[in-house]
Order: sequence, then structure tokens, then C-alpha cells
Amino acid sequence: MQITFKVYRKDPEGNGKPGRSEYTVDLSDDATVMDGLLKIRDELDGTLAFRASCLRGYCGECTMRISGKSTFACTAKVSAFTKKGPEIALDPIRNIPVIKDLVFDWDAFLWNKIKAVKPWLEPREGPANEEHRLPDAVMKDLRQVMSCYYCGLCDEGCTVLPVDFDFLGPAALTKAYRVAFDPRDRDGKERLRIAEQPKGVWDCVHCFEASEHCPRGIAPTERIVALRDKAFQMGISHEKVARHHQSFAASVKESGWVDEGRLAVESEGLTNIKGLMKLLPTAAKALVRGKAPLPYVHSKRPGADRIKKIFEKGERERK
Amino acid sequence: MKYAFYPGCVSRGGCPELYPSAVKVAQKLEVELEELKDVGCTGAGVLPQYLSDPINARTFAKAEGLGLPIMTICSTCQGVMAQANYRLKSDPAYREKINREYLAEEGLEYRGTTEVKHLLWILFEDYGLDRLKSLIRRPLKGLKVSPFYGCFLRRPPEAITPTKELSRRKNYLDELIEILGADLVDISGKGKCCGFPILTASEENSLAMVAKHTGESKEKGADCMVTPCPLCHLNLDGNQPRAQAVRGEKIDLPIIHLPQFVGLALGFDPEEMQLKRHIVSTRVVESRVEMLA
Amino acid sequence: MQEFDVLVIGGGASGLRAAIAAKRAGAAVALVTKVHPLRTNTGVAQGGLNAPFGKEDSSERFAEDTLLAGDGLSEPELVRILTQGAAEEAVWLERMGVPFNRDGEGRLDRRRFGANSQPRTCYADDRTGHIVLQVLHEQFLRAEIPSFEEWYVTSLAVEDGTCLGVIGLGMRSGKLEGFAARAVILATGGFTRLYLPSTASLGTTGDGLSLALSAGGRLRDMEMVQFHPTVVPKNPGLLITEAVLGEGAELVDANGGTIAGSKAVPREKLCGSIMDTIENGGGSVFLDLRPIGKEKLSSRFPQTCELLRTVAGLDAAKDPIAIQPAAHRPMGGIEINGQGETALAGLFAVGECASSGVHGAGRLAGNTLTEAVVFGRRVGEAAARYAASAPKRSFPAPKLSDEERRLGALTSKNSASDSLGKIHGELGRLMNEKVGLARNQTGLKEAQDRLQHLKERHQRLRVGDTSRIYNYQLTAYLELGSMLSLAEVVVLAAQARTESRGAHRRTDFPERNDENWRRHISVSLVDGGPKLQHKPVGIPG
Repeated sequence: MQITFKVYRKDPEGNGKPGRSEYTVDLSDDATVMDGLLKIRDELDGTLAFRASCLRGYCGECTMRISGKSTFACTAKVSAFTKKGPEIALDPIRNIPVIKDLVFDWDAFLWNKIKAVKPWLEPREGPANEEHRLPDAVMKDLRQVMSCYYCGLCDEGCTVLPVDFDFLGPAALTKAYRVAFDPRDRDGKERLRIAEQPKGVWDCVHCFEASEHCPRGIAPTERIVALRDKAFQMGISHEKVARHHQSFAASVKESGWVDEGRLAVESEGLTNIKGLMKLLPTAAKALVRGKAPLPYVHSKRPGADRIKKIFEKGERERK
Repeated sequence: MKYAFYPGCVSRGGCPELYPSAVKVAQKLEVELEELKDVGCTGAGVLPQYLSDPINARTFAKAEGLGLPIMTICSTCQGVMAQANYRLKSDPAYREKINREYLAEEGLEYRGTTEVKHLLWILFEDYGLDRLKSLIRRPLKGLKVSPFYGCFLRRPPEAITPTKELSRRKNYLDELIEILGADLVDISGKGKCCGFPILTASEENSLAMVAKHTGESKEKGADCMVTPCPLCHLNLDGNQPRAQAVRGEKIDLPIIHLPQFVGLALGFDPEEMQLKRHIVSTRVVESRVEMLA
Repeated sequence: MQEFDVLVIGGGASGLRAAIAAKRAGAAVALVTKVHPLRTNTGVAQGGLNAPFGKEDSSERFAEDTLLAGDGLSEPELVRILTQGAAEEAVWLERMGVPFNRDGEGRLDRRRFGANSQPRTCYADDRTGHIVLQVLHEQFLRAEIPSFEEWYVTSLAVEDGTCLGVIGLGMRSGKLEGFAARAVILATGGFTRLYLPSTASLGTTGDGLSLALSAGGRLRDMEMVQFHPTVVPKNPGLLITEAVLGEGAELVDANGGTIAGSKAVPREKLCGSIMDTIENGGGSVFLDLRPIGKEKLSSRFPQTCELLRTVAGLDAAKDPIAIQPAAHRPMGGIEINGQGETALAGLFAVGECASSGVHGAGRLAGNTLTEAVVFGRRVGEAAARYAASAPKRSFPAPKLSDEERRLGALTSKNSASDSLGKIHGELGRLMNEKVGLARNQTGLKEAQDRLQHLKERHQRLRVGDTSRIYNYQLTAYLELGSMLSLAEVVVLAAQARTESRGAHRRTDFPERNDENWRRHISVSLVDGGPKLQHKPVGIPG
């Protein structure tokens, strides 16, 4: 079948402006998009730059946007994209700087961020001829996380990265989980220091976009939440977030529900005058508009004593 | 039709206009509500699961005792409860453990039969669109509206859109805007996060998200944005003035709660829906609605 | 110019292990790799890595199995290095964080794999390579080793028989640069892309072998190319790990009859049985995964199920899968000794690009990853030792400008009707047909003649892309050049070996001939042309 590929182009040695080239190639019915790309580069335009490695869905190197859907060129059948006509648009994935054509900056997008989470075990001292004895269930969880093929699709779907490219992103934070949840690390707590890093777990909005975008079902969002919960339990946190969480928990524990006024004030910190002043204009406007009910009271809900019991029991068991 | 009503904290706290407008709309629709009064906060994704799952199991058990499904009016409450319910329903051993350790003492047991539904889902899945259409007294003609769902009303799939048919949930708000006679102004971030969860940790990014979503909507000519999530409302409305400063230009986009929006189409006046309580002036919406009389 | 004690070329398992070991031994190390380490061909390995554990097994038994698979051409002393070092390296990997599958007692579980007489293969589901690679990369990052990723090495800098570094092309910068090093370790992977279809990644083009050959190194056992028995013959060739056979899967013919001798035999024999069935009127051969059971299939072979579905559109739990053998992994490579030293001073080689003497004429399933880590460590340490004592010599700077001119002369805007892909396509088919599972003199001679034409066509071609940054046409041109020169060596060695042994099956010489052929064929360039030498088995360790 004759397929026309409309391919994003950018020449870093030319004017650097994005453009688009069209190529029509003849492909077999079960051809993949990668077959098309290799044929184009071989027969029509040797200057077309794109990455490829394993050719069969193992490695994530050829992630790109195929007629708007981000996936792997090597496993994407051409026929799945030509139902409306024999035309396929190829673009780099979003939220990522492009270097040349479909070659984008993996370093800035992924590899450097993975390095930043210090993703390695500090192995425990031990006999060189004996493995750790561990239940397979623990290993299975790690194997699932390590089925990640660093394709970048979770990062592409991320809500935070478009407003802050420095955010570590779900792929790197999932890598952090892999290390922090490995019982073989010499000092599990040290690994959780990742949770103190700026642009890390506390900047995640846990919107589940990453989980939805992950083609391997690794659930990066849940991994980040787990990382955060574990860090928090170990007393490792972002200062303001810790206050916020403590205030939130204390409010629910005492009254059964959330006291937002208390939350705002306590999150900023009672001695943080500057932070508290910042709240004033919104608070004042809210008062004027009757948004905050007056007089300001936060009363216990019925059943609050039951909630408190659940808290006490849960907290006891965690210890 | 009757539901166990779970109003959530914010509908009487930070967004006190939400609770009464939801109740009024339910009355108009002849949906009977029995408010769950002695139940706790869902945890809102802030409390760890080991605390929030028992608290939510308790809520589900109470509703189960009444023989009623739960109605929520908050994407966050809905999402957190749906995720907890998914875990409790799909893992009987886990459910039993929580029953045994947390609920038995109070004489409660959750058998795993409670449905939790947001008002938006109820309109489509239980109430019926024909019946809703028949009650429209003021089609919102000419009003240009952007949808904003709140993350937890769209994801994660196993809890929110478990079947192919239910994946339509991702589009309910878009559909509703048109059903109520308004013009849909689609925006790329409608299913993304509003930024509320990171307001504490990363205010700058949070405000940037507010600016991005409201700014795009405004640029595309929307008069307002409608959201089924009061936490999104808190950020998109309450922090819009500060987000404007980040963006460096005025946005002034009114953010309307879902029940208010439905209420206006059912014939309630803006005053009854307490639009005046919002931070960003809703004058544009009010005058449009008054013109439609 | 960058200067290092030890420079490792290639970011797969062998290269990473060597780099980590050399660094630990105190050397200043750097890695140069043409794709990011996590994109290398190690990631496609599935089944696992062999290591003898438990009372039932021993390094001796492991050695016996390895020698048996090598069909008389493995070097016993070098095999012992592998089998004695395997358990320690497997434990090292475990302690560094590989989440190997466990048995009921929480110890490393071992699966039955290929012709191993024991359940000896440690594994991580069916992604062992992918996961081992990640852990090696983690430890590589921990060691803070400089890494030049997406750098293509175009030549070795050799003077007076000593390797003094390499010249590399930065894909991103478009710049050609020299890297001075006292020791260079080639860990560039195999050359299976000589064959189409095959099970290898796009970059498995034998670059390192070709660099070593043209710089004065020697290649050994090049006629021995292992085919993998169970490959879905869809382009480009989707491998199903042979481990499924150990877990209950069956090989059946078109009538559903079980293929005789399909369990626990060397791959060479298994491929032979499959081809016999296909050729003797059996039509197709199928791999029936259903006896494994649905649950075990999805828990132990998740990737296999996923790729069968996405790449081939098949449901492993429902239908038998049509398979046939495809080129998988060469046994031969750059001739090294037990320390990884080559014929050139300062040049080392390890992993799939090297002939360590372990695999002989047939490789035991599960030995590639084991070899990568055992020899990776060994060669890394040896290179560090060498570098510590080697006299300091300066990098031959003129070579850089020579190389600049050579590459410049390859590019030209002239359009041609011929193409790299067409030449490669013909090469791959030719190798499969004439230099594949079954060979004979007529076919090999024909292959030799046609190869000359392909080489001429390649030499006439020019690289049309004159840009510098991410010029993949230029690297593809160089890769094809490597493949063509190696193909010639494979064909010559296959012609010379007038017997059948291991992966080398001559229909005109069907018997194994120990009297004349318990020896290696070793190839070097003399006056620009390949010259063959024979060396009897019996290399000291």
C-alpha cells in the first residue's frame, strides 16, 4: 500500500525552524511505522533523523507521536493509522526540546533526571557467595517497576512538566521508587532523601496521567504516592508540606473533617509572618464575598470520636 | 430516586455556596438526599491509605446500612472514595481485614455493595438525559463555557472508567454543557490537574497551572468555566488573581460549580445559586443569564 | 583531547561490567557508546544467566554442559573461568539489586533452560537482560564514570602494534574527536545483523570486530553463528525465549505431533530438528505455549505475551505460534586470551564481539549474560592493571585529520539509484540462504562472489547527507562497511571448515571430523586481504 508520511523536520545546522516533509512509500500490509521510516531514510531522504534500536518493542528508543498518538514506531502497525486515509503524521513527543527532526533531547528530558535521583543501591556488606533471602513477592514488585523501558510516555503525559521542565517527572521518580523500596539497600532511609529534593515527589499533583500513559502498567503515580507516604512516615518531608499534612491529619483526627482556615494558617507556619501576610488578601476578599462563613467556627462532626479511634488504631499499627 | 449524600468538607468550608446550590438543584430534580452526617473526610489524597481506607470503608458501610448509593459533589471526594471502594470491592480479604480491625467495634460491616457516584455521573447514568432536558427552563444559549473535570473524575481507569461504556465519563461535562444549551469551548487542559494539590509545595507551579487553564479558556473566548470539583474551584477561582500576576495579564474568568451551572439552566437565579460568593466576579455570567431571562 | 587509563567502547552488559571493574581497580575510566546504555542489545535478552548453585550442581557439571554444547571447539580452561566465576557474579548482581525470581525459601530460583542438565538459569521473569542491564547501569552511575553516549567510534588509533585510543564521532555535536587511552576495551556486541531476519537490534553490526580486524587484530571461530530455534518469522524477527520449553511448552508439527528431541538439547540440534520437520514435508513448526498454563504464562513470561500481542498480533494463551530458527548470536569474534587481550597491545575485547573460547561451535543457552559479567569484570580488571603499567605514549594526532578526510570523502550530494538498505537487504538474505543453518561449497562460493559485488556497490555509494549532527546515514554507511568485511570472513571460514560441527552444518561434509578439525580458524588481514590460520584447541587459561 502507498502511504504518505508527513514528518516533522528541524535542521539544527540550517535555520532551525520547524517544518514538515512529505514522503510517499510503498509498504506491505503488515508494515510498521519503523519500516516506513527506515525506507524513507534509505531510499528517499538520507537526511531524515530518527532514533531506533531494538526494532521490536523492547527498548523505548523510537517513541514518537504517530498521527497524534504517542507510541513506538517499531511496534505501531501502519494499518492502525490509515483507517481515515493513507496519511500518517509523525512528530516528536510533546513537552521535550527537539534537536533534529524526530531526535529529541533524551538527556534533558530523562537521562539527567534519572541521574539526579541517585538511582543505585548502596549494597550491604555481606558474603560474596550468598544472596539475600527475600520473598518473591517483594522481588516481583521491583521486577514490575523495572519492566520500565524508559520510553518517556509518562513524562509526556505529566501535568507538571509543561509548566515546569525542571520537575523530575514520573519516570525518574519511579526509578527512585525502585531503589527506595528495595530492601537490599544499605540504608533505606538515605534513599528516601530523594523526598527532600526540590522539584521531586512533593511537586507531583498525583493526577494519574502518568499511570494512564504508561504502556507497561507500572502505575508511576501510585509509585510516587507510595514513595511520598514512606518518606513521610520516616520523617522525611518538605517542611511546609509536612506542616500541611500534620494539620490536615490533626483536623480530621479531632473533628472528623478538614478545617481549611486552620490548614492554610498552619501550612504557612505560625511564625512565618511573610507567608501569613500573603494569605490576607484572599482571606479578606473571601470574607467580603461571604465565602468564608462567619463567625469562623470549625465544629466537631458527629461520629468524630469514631474517626479518632480509627486514627489512633491505624497510627498504633504503623508503629 | 434517593441517595446518601456526601457533601464533603469544602462545600461547607472554602466553597460554602456549593452545598446549598447542590441541595436546591437536587430538590428541583426531585432527587431525595439523605445526608451522611456522622462520617469522616475521605482523606483527599493527603491522608495515607492505611488511615483513609478504614475511614472510607466506614462511610460505605453506613450507606450500605441505609441501602442507598452515595452521591458526591466533589471530584476529589469522588476519586478518593472510588479508589478506596475499588480496593475494598476487588480484594475481599482486605475488606474483611478492615471490617475486623476497624469497623466491628462499632458494630459495622462493609459488604462491598455500595456505589459511589458524582452528581455528574448520576445525571447521565441514573437520572436520564431526557428527563433532565424536560426540566430545562432556561437553555443557556450563547453562554460560552469551558469544561474542567478535576483529575480524579477521569483517572485512574480501574476505579473511574472500568468499562468501555464508562469511558464516556471522560466526556460527560462536555456533553452536559451542550445539553444545557451553552456553547462548548474546549481546552487542552480540561482533564489535567488544576494545581491545587501542590499549592503548598510548589505555589509557583500551582499558579502557573491556574494561569495556563484559565488563560487558554479566556483566549478561546469562553465566558466562564464549569467544574464539578470544589478544590479545582478553590484554585482556579480563589487563586486566579495571583495567577494573573504570574501570567502578567488579566484573565477574569468566572469559575462556576457544576450544581450552579445546572441550577441556572433549571431556572434558578444567579442569586439563589450564590454566584456572588466567588472571588472572580461572575458578572459576565449573571448578565448573560439575565438576558436569557 | 580527553585522556583516560581505560576506555570502554560499548554500553551493554559486558561494557558496563568492565567499566565498573576497571574503576574499582583504580583506573580512570570512560565509556563511549553509540546508543545509550539502556538501549543496547543486552536489553533484548530474556531467558536468564547460568550459575551453578545448590548441592545438585557444581561448576564442573556446568563446565561439562558448556563443553558439550561447544561441540569440541570450546576451550576447557577458559570454560572453567566462566563456570567457576558464575555463581559469584550472579550473587554480585543480586546484591547490587537485580530482583531475580525466588524459590519458596527466598533463594535465587533457577529455571531449566536449553541444554543445561540442571535447573541452573537465574532469571527475572522473561526480561533478565533488560533488568540486569538496568542494575549494571545503576552501578555504573554510582561509580561516576564519564559516559560519552551517542558517540560512534570510527577507528582505533594504533601505532606500532599498540592501541593508543580511538577516534569517535559525536552524533549530537557532529564533531570528530580523539580519545587517548592506555587501554581500550571493545565491548561493542555481535554482528547478527549480517543476517535478515535475525533477532538482533539495529546496531548489532559488528563495528568492534571490524575495527579490530582492520587495525591488525584477529577474528576466531567466525563461521560459528548460532541460530535461535524459536523465532516468529515476522520482520524483523521476534524471539520467544527457549525457557518456555523448560516450563512446559511443546514444539509441534502441522498435525500437532510433538517434534522429537526438542527438550534439553543444544540449540544447534533443536534448529536441526525444526528444519528437518519443515523440509521433510511437515510444512510449519509451531510453538505451543498453552501447556504452561495461563497464569504461569502471564506471570513468568509477561513480556513474551505482550510482544506476541503487539508485534505479531497473536495470543500466546490461545494459539500455537508458527516459528522458525533465525540468526541469533555468533560464537566467534575478536580473538582474546583469558585476560581479554587481543593481538594488539593495549586492545582488549569482551562480550559478544569477542571470542573468549567459551562457546566453541555452539553456545549453551544462558551463557551470554554469564559471560558478559564474568569476563566483563575480569577484562576490566586486566585492562586496569595493564593501564597502570603501560608506558605513556601520546595519541597520534595526525590520525584525527586523516580520519576527518576519510569521512569527508564518503559524503557527496550525488544521488544514486542504489542504497545502503538495498545492499544490506541482499546481504542479509544471502547470508541466511547460503551461509545459514545449512551450508555447502557451491553455496558458499556463490556467496563469496556475490559479496564481492555487494562490496563494490557499497564502495561506489556515497553518503548523501552532508550534515554533521545526527547523520545516521553516515553511521549506517560505516556499519554496512563493517558488516560486509565480516561477512567475507564468515564465508571464508565456513568454506574452509570441511566438516559439520555445532552451528556449522555442511551438507557436503555432514560428519564431525575431530582428527582434522578440533581447531579454530583464525583470520587476520594480510596486505588488505583476509588470511586464515588454524589453531588447535588447547589454549591455556
